[in-house]
Amino acid sequence: MIRIVLLSILTLVVQRILGMPGLPAWPAEILLPAVWIVAPPLLHHERGWPYHALFLGLGWDLLLEPIVGPGGIAWTAASLSMYALAGLVADRSAKAWVGFGAVCAAVVIVVRHLALLPLGLAAPLSLEHAVRSILLTALWCGFVGVVVSLDLPARWKHYKARRLR
Amino acid sequence: MTSSRLIVRRTLLLWIMLELFAALQVRTAGGGTLLVSWLRAVVLPVEWSADRLGNLAVDLSLGTRNLQRVIVDNRKMRLELDEVRARELLLREDHIALREVNGLALAGPGFELEAGSVVARCTYRDLAAGTMEVRTAVPATIPRDTPVVTAEGLVGRVVHSESRRHWLQLLNHAAAAVAVQTEDGQVQGLAMGTGSAELRVAYVPRQAQLVRGTLLVTSGADGIYPPGIPTATVFRVRESDAAFLEIGAAPSADLGVARVVLLLPAWSPTSTGETR
Repeated sequence: MIRIVLLSILTLVVQRILGMPGLPAWPAEILLPAVWIVAPPLLHHERGWPYHALFLGLGWDLLLEPIVGPGGIAWTAASLSMYALAGLVADRSAKAWVGFGAVCAAVVIVVRHLALLPLGLAAPLSLEHAVRSILLTALWCGFVGVVVSLDLPARWKHYKARRLR
Repeated sequence: MTSSRLIVRRTLLLWIMLELFAALQVRTAGGGTLLVSWLRAVVLPVEWSADRLGNLAVDLSLGTRNLQRVIVDNRKMRLELDEVRARELLLREDHIALREVNGLALAGPGFELEAGSVVARCTYRDLAAGTMEVRTAVPATIPRDTPVVTAEGLVGRVVHSESRRHWLQLLNHAAAAVAVQTEDGQVQGLAMGTGSAELRVAYVPRQAQLVRGTLLVTSGADGIYPPGIPTATVFRVRESDAAFLEIGAAPSADLGVARVVLLLPAWSPTSTGETR
């Protein structure tokens, strides 16, 4: 659990680093924390109160947004939508990770924009930016899905056991 | 299903709280927080509505009071209007009466207004009984048997006087009698009331030259009426075995419509006989 929390914080920090001046613009458009939203339903976790998404969103707000709140809304919405989608889609392959990542990114972008709208802080929603962000996030989630499907810890254990023989 | 609903409800509540929390952090151009401006935006319409409702209630109250006043004023004005209409009718009557008085002043046929004449207004008449009540503008003592005339001719005589009210015996009264003659004075007779609209002229000799349409005026022989006042017009002349003609005459004055009459209390047979 602590490992997941630490990894989540690391993800947010990396997300902030990706947006630092001097780096290309497109890496900042990847929603790295999306994997923490996509993973639970795809890894057969029971649906429950999305505390992890709430804290992830609040952390997102603290690190990346001018105010705290909209991020929490956006990421919890994404989490609920993922659980709903997981109830409809049986596929749990890397392709599913790609699709879930795309949906998650879309939900986060749209809901965040809607949450910022009444506050007067919403920037005009750029379709190009949104599509790019969705694509990159989907690829990122797909990559994580591939890594997860490879089951690297098991392979490593298996490799070490063969060498010891 | 229930847990899904619970999650959705909690999530919605959480989102609302997060949005409010975010609004608390946003500053408006005025320096206040966005949350306060939202609260104002919620409260102001309520306050405005309450204010307007209060004004509406006050206006309605005032309107109701004013409506009641208007209704009362309207009733008063209707009463006043009725009063004015009644006055107008009276004024019309007065106008007609004044015209009749003017007719009297312009000297009726055969007589002139005398000093001491009193104008009176007819207030009640009973032609069947041959009586009329007239009123003068001010209390006046009118002697009994005072002649009464209109611009058209003789009406009758005063039989009773009391302050402003005076009762007349009309020409057509069954007991009334007036000494009459033709305008040239050739034929004389006595016009007597019959209780109906016509008069009977008696004591006219059979040889008298009298035709229908002849105007009869007072002769003054009765000592009550001054001579020369138009009294009646002959409309029927019949001969019979009797020594006198049977003559029917209609009063010159229209007793049914006369509004104003002239009382002649100053006339006396001796003085008038000398002056005329």
